Amino acid sequence: MEYDLASLSGLFGHAFSMWWIMLPAIVVGLIAGAVPGFAAHNTIIILLPLTLALNVEYALAFMVALYCASHLGGGIPAILVNIPGTGGAAATTLDGYPMTRKGEAVKALSLCFVASVLGGFVSSVVTLFALPALSRVGYYIHSVEMVVVMLFGLALIASIAAKDMLKGLIAGAFGLMLGAMGADHIYATPRGTFGFLELFDGVPLVPALIGLFAISEALVMLESDALVEEGDQPKTAATWRESAREIFSAFSHWWQIIWTSLLGLVIGVLPGAGASIASFVAYQQSQFFSKTPEKFGTGHPQGVIAPESANNGVTTGTLVPLLAIGVPGGSTAAVMMIVLQFHGVPFGPRLFVEEPQLAYGVIAVMAVSYVMMIPFMFPMVRYMSRITVISTVYLAPFIVAFTLVGAFVPRGFLFDMGIAVAFGIIGYVARKTGYHVAAILIGVILGPLIERSFLLAMRISGNDPMVMFSSTIGNILWVMLILTLALPPIMSRRRAKLERLKDKSLTGPDA
Amino acid sequence: MSKTFDTAAFAAAATFAAAMGVIAPAHAQDADYPDTNVSITIPTGEGGGADRDARAITQVWSKYLDRNFEFSYYPGAAGQVGYEFFMKSEADGTNLMFSNIGPEVIMLELQDVPIEIGEDLVYIQKTSTEPMAIWVGANSEFETLEQLIEEAKTRPVTISVSRLPHPASIGMLALGEATGAQFNLIPYGGGNPTAMAAITGEVDASALPLANPITFGPEARVLGIFADENPVPEQTGNAPTVNEAAGTDLPPLTSSRAFAVQASVLEEYPERVEVLKQTIRETLADPDYIAAVEAAGVPAAFIDPGDQEAAMSEAAETAELATKYRELLTGDE
Repeated sequence: MEYDLASLSGLFGHAFSMWWIMLPAIVVGLIAGAVPGFAAHNTIIILLPLTLALNVEYALAFMVALYCASHLGGGIPAILVNIPGTGGAAATTLDGYPMTRKGEAVKALSLCFVASVLGGFVSSVVTLFALPALSRVGYYIHSVEMVVVMLFGLALIASIAAKDMLKGLIAGAFGLMLGAMGADHIYATPRGTFGFLELFDGVPLVPALIGLFAISEALVMLESDALVEEGDQPKTAATWRESAREIFSAFSHWWQIIWTSLLGLVIGVLPGAGASIASFVAYQQSQFFSKTPEKFGTGHPQGVIAPESANNGVTTGTLVPLLAIGVPGGSTAAVMMIVLQFHGVPFGPRLFVEEPQLAYGVIAVMAVSYVMMIPFMFPMVRYMSRITVISTVYLAPFIVAFTLVGAFVPRGFLFDMGIAVAFGIIGYVARKTGYHVAAILIGVILGPLIERSFLLAMRISGNDPMVMFSSTIGNILWVMLILTLALPPIMSRRRAKLERLKDKSLTGPDA
Repeated sequence: MSKTFDTAAFAAAATFAAAMGVIAPAHAQDADYPDTNVSITIPTGEGGGADRDARAITQVWSKYLDRNFEFSYYPGAAGQVGYEFFMKSEADGTNLMFSNIGPEVIMLELQDVPIEIGEDLVYIQKTSTEPMAIWVGANSEFETLEQLIEEAKTRPVTISVSRLPHPASIGMLALGEATGAQFNLIPYGGGNPTAMAAITGEVDASALPLANPITFGPEARVLGIFADENPVPEQTGNAPTVNEAAGTDLPPLTSSRAFAVQASVLEEYPERVEVLKQTIRETLADPDYIAAVEAAGVPAAFIDPGDQEAAMSEAAETAELATKYRELLTGDE
């Protein structure tokens, strides 16, 4: 499609004209994202009777706006109460919650919302112009390359483990072991299921997230009276002025937001990848390129921005294979495809030939959804940060009750509530003994994904391990991965050495 | 703007109300069937081919069976999880399984699943039947099945399949056995990722039910069909049958979607089963349903109102095939 000012303004103008369907979708999406257990795809499935009945254009606008808003909403509980509602928000807890504990909830929420909105908007606009190029990414990144991309995310365990390497690695390995449970990808042989049919699909992610983070956090919370650390409690509620100031100052991180959202976009385009991989990789890369990597994990703004802008970049990315090739890249896109098929709308290249306004309109709707979310940011920052002043005596039981229901929702198994409790105990013991729960979680999330790609690559090659080094792009990624792992310790040793020399020269021979 | 908005807003409100069950359905309830929702178990993931087909059927089915339909998805362990959970649901005819007979009967035969077709579960009514197909992405170097087979005689050719226990996998293994070609089957765990692997060139070719490459349009090129004749020559570029192209004598390999109930339902609630069969058949003949199938890009020729006998006979034939190729499919090669 040739872009000129008229066609672009037509696209965006048309997208804005559907505000009446997008605004309720944004509200539903924000709630679905913020409530653990309700992700975009299961909310869209619940609402399928509605979207199937709507005109296809309105249906798509509704689903796309809901999808985008759910990714923004996911960061809220991650920051305020250390509960990532989805895998994509798990990395947000690493710095978001420490900020809340330091009394900086308003700032953390502002960073999260601005990163989500700006990141999502930028990646949508880039997609609009670069769709043909983006759709080619999937032709070059196959299972081998996916293994390396996911190893970037796994490498985060090493940085989390930096403070206590042995415990960090043990936690990561424990997570990987849990992630290996379930039927294997090739022959569907059950492994470590203890005879429970409910574990044949592996450890269910949402109950594991809820247990490791929410329930263990609620138990820890009960040990103190307030969520915010002593002396850091805000004296008054956030004002409109303060909320606006924090939101506007969050825009100063625009460069990091842009590059991490583009990273999320590219990862989102890859088949089999998704928000959790993107957010972990973006966090890990942000730490690598940061001038203050040591601050990550202690409540660093960059640690909130990276995962949030990346997981919103993914939202556009997952639609690219559906729009450009006709094969959905993720579960949400797959459900959207059903709606397209139901209305007899062609998808893939035929969509661009036969209904270009609809094809490009979807991406424009995505960009406009993010613009429409801007007014939501101000009241959300102002009022949601008030959660932190609720006494833990009320907050902790509420979190346990609320999230246990969330553990039940995705699959409807009572068994999953038990899983959440079991993981809650694991998480609590891990926290009390100095094992990082995020390291366990990274293993649980990325383990099965890496295993799948690894097995596919090995089977394609006829079980030749050298296949891992058989592609140019893969080899470039390997070099980058090695540099990512090797450079920080080398640099810090070099810095320490320079400091020692500097100290020596300052104290000098006269000292 | 105001008119557009008013109409659109009213339409949205009305559909929302309808979706929430606020607007009462206009037609009468069927007396022989309980006045509760019909729960449909799909042993594959949401957004897949089974989900697409189930949605298309139920949209029209509600004309004849005035109930709401609920869906649950259990894709684990090649569908085993779905079957086992379905068997635990109440056997009263309001819980149905929407099956894909071919791959699922093979799964039940090969995996350690305590379910016997016929004794525990019965396929009561088919909805569609389609043959398996070998196809490549539009950018593939292979133009014909002969070329693919020749190449597979010199090196193992990679074929993406949805799962190993699948009629398409059996077809490829049988073809390899008959021609001396080496096919390395790569199970991607679902139709969409399987297709993606072929389209993006990660694998040399793919073997899936024929509706898949047809729905991908120009992104896919069908090389051969496991059937006695090509049922949809216009939509497949007049692709030959596998036997024509390879000079083999393989049996047709098809898979049918069908509704199933627990076997005890047939004895305890025969009248409910009759209502189900009758209304499904009416749905399959409804022009709205035929239009919905065609709109989804699936040929209407695949609609198959085969009865219980036909469905169970297909299940028995598939079970035989699974037994024959057990070793190759279970990795005990």
